[in-house]
Amino acid sequence: MLRSGMAESTPERWRRVVVEKPFGEDLPSSRELNELVDSVFGADDVFRIDHYLGKETVQNLLALRFANTLFEPIWNGHHVDSVQITMAEDVGIGGRAGFYEKTGAARDVLQNHLLQLLALTAMEEPVEFSAEEIRTEKLKVLRAISLPDDLDAFAVRGQYEQGWLAGQRVKGYQQEEGVDARSKTETFAAVRLGVETRRWAGVPFYLRTGKRLPRRVTEIALMFKRAPHLPFADTDTEELGNNQLVVRVQPDEGVTLKFGSKVPGSVMEVRDVSMDFLYGEQFTESSPEAYERLLLDVLLGDATLFPRNAEVEASWAVIDPLEEFWAGTTPHPYRAGEWGPRAAEEMLAAEDRRWRRP
Amino acid sequence: MTTLWDTNGSAVVKELAAQRRTGGAVLSGVALTLVVVADESRVSEAEEAATHAAESHPCRVLVVVRRQLDAPAPRLDAEVLIGGRLGPGEAVVMRMYGRLGLHAESVVLPLLAADAPVVAWWHAAPPDRLANDALAVFADRRITDSSIAGDSLAALRTRAEDYAPGDTDLAWTRCTSWRATLASTLDSVSGRRGEPVRVEAGRIEGDPKNPTAQLLAGWLSSRCGCAIAVEAGARTPGPSGVDSVSLKLDQKEEVRIEADRRGGAVISQPFRPDASVALPERPLGDLLSEELRRLDDDEPYSDALEAATGITGLAERSPVREHVWFDPAEADEPAPAKRKAAAKTGGS
Repeated sequence: MLRSGMAESTPERWRRVVVEKPFGEDLPSSRELNELVDSVFGADDVFRIDHYLGKETVQNLLALRFANTLFEPIWNGHHVDSVQITMAEDVGIGGRAGFYEKTGAARDVLQNHLLQLLALTAMEEPVEFSAEEIRTEKLKVLRAISLPDDLDAFAVRGQYEQGWLAGQRVKGYQQEEGVDARSKTETFAAVRLGVETRRWAGVPFYLRTGKRLPRRVTEIALMFKRAPHLPFADTDTEELGNNQLVVRVQPDEGVTLKFGSKVPGSVMEVRDVSMDFLYGEQFTESSPEAYERLLLDVLLGDATLFPRNAEVEASWAVIDPLEEFWAGTTPHPYRAGEWGPRAAEEMLAAEDRRWRRP
Repeated sequence: MTTLWDTNGSAVVKELAAQRRTGGAVLSGVALTLVVVADESRVSEAEEAATHAAESHPCRVLVVVRRQLDAPAPRLDAEVLIGGRLGPGEAVVMRMYGRLGLHAESVVLPLLAADAPVVAWWHAAPPDRLANDALAVFADRRITDSSIAGDSLAALRTRAEDYAPGDTDLAWTRCTSWRATLASTLDSVSGRRGEPVRVEAGRIEGDPKNPTAQLLAGWLSSRCGCAIAVEAGARTPGPSGVDSVSLKLDQKEEVRIEADRRGGAVISQPFRPDASVALPERPLGDLLSEELRRLDDDEPYSDALEAATGITGLAERSPVREHVWFDPAEADEPAPAKRKAAAKTGGS
């Protein structure tokens, strides 16, 4: 393309390239890919698509955080106990066995979608809502991510076995067409990450993704700390959990706020209630499809919602040690239709927490 | 209302979401999910009770009817209702055929309200071991009804053997009004005396084969520290199985409460004229509604169950069950090969 001049932008016309994931399979290969692409196109003309960033709710996360005064003061380690980011799919690998065998859940989803969601959740306020400024902030977060010392306990991968999902019998991963019967590729990954900044020090970020989980859902949940003192009898607040702020990315895009409320009656009893904001109810105009929005941005040359190669490389720097640790190990089995392997439950239980049921 | 024939779980989830959007949100938040497991013959009874309960506790009602386990092909029929026949909230009635009945959780799990407590209610003969039903494994509270079983005393024993904190039984709920009346009567005696009362002995007249009467006796025994038994009375008692309760107190006093068979009871106590109180037999919906009020463990129930069956240590058991795979088709064989299915905890 370089030789034929097809990649060259001139003042009268532009040439842009859209790159779909996976952006390499580890740090060295992604550097190689970046160098190759950058040698042909200018940095401003390369658009790496992460379609999650095109979703309306993801952009709304920025509006929620930075257009309101209500949330930002508590958006830090003083008030937040932990953050859970979940991306669950009920489908299997479909016809993509060849691709998936080499990739696995961590490279397929964790490296891009989940880390991007983490970055948007944890980043500082950008100086302005522009591509360059947002990227700068995201990159700072990605570079501040730390892996747990005890990878054995806090990085779990799993593989689905045959089971029942949504009322139908489904095959196990190893029985899928085109998959090695002794495959050790993971279809589920859960990991506990830290963000070493003043805002987030000590707050665990639990990320999980998997295929053949009970339902298709993506959400970011901020679990707040419990009140330091409760002026009620112990039995009154037995059913009170942590306050939660949940950003649902898909489906039923919206925000849920969960807090305690008194149960009507003569006794003082506090129980969790939830307040729901559903995008579809407030704005009846339908949001554009993620890809529609992103392709429009490519045509307009607006790179706000596209990760830059430095971000991709920073993400790989998080994933590479995980892959290295996992290499050669056997994933924990889980039945299709369950919320992942037992070890993922234990990972949170070890710190007296539990996964939210999305 | 939409009925989906020969469908799958994902279609039901989609339909529920679609109806929420188009039907206008009747209820935007639900406090809990109520999973009802019913026999085909008892579905309408269960639906009526669940509707009643949903009126006072906004919840998502999921009715699971397992039919023809031996049907050759699994099949799911589902009825999705919002603000209709089954109360103001969302409800799904699912009929499962064939082997799908053994994997009901695969359809139910995606339908649970997000991160809200789950209550499972068997309006049918419950499994001997609740752990055999995956629906019981992820439920935070489990409600059975021993009075449905043929031999309800054996059923009560089974419940005690299988007990885990969070279990409860409607046979126990049926004696709530008796407990309230007894407690307020003793309160009025101690109020008159200005000092606490001690119960030295007592007896219940009624139906010794009735689980409610046995649980009331168990509750009295565990609270008063003396054995109180159910004795067959001269009259046939009502559905609660209790005709009268008499308690011998210290200072040679005695109190007696006797059902008057007209939805009330007469309280006799020293130095006071006999008084009538309302003590009606309550409909199923009322009982269920009461059980949904509190979602934590029912400690008085486990105490009463211990005393009624003689099985101890119930409250110390782990509240988390692990699913144990059980296939009724294999159970008929001489040595049922039980294999432990990949376990899951109550968490998610």
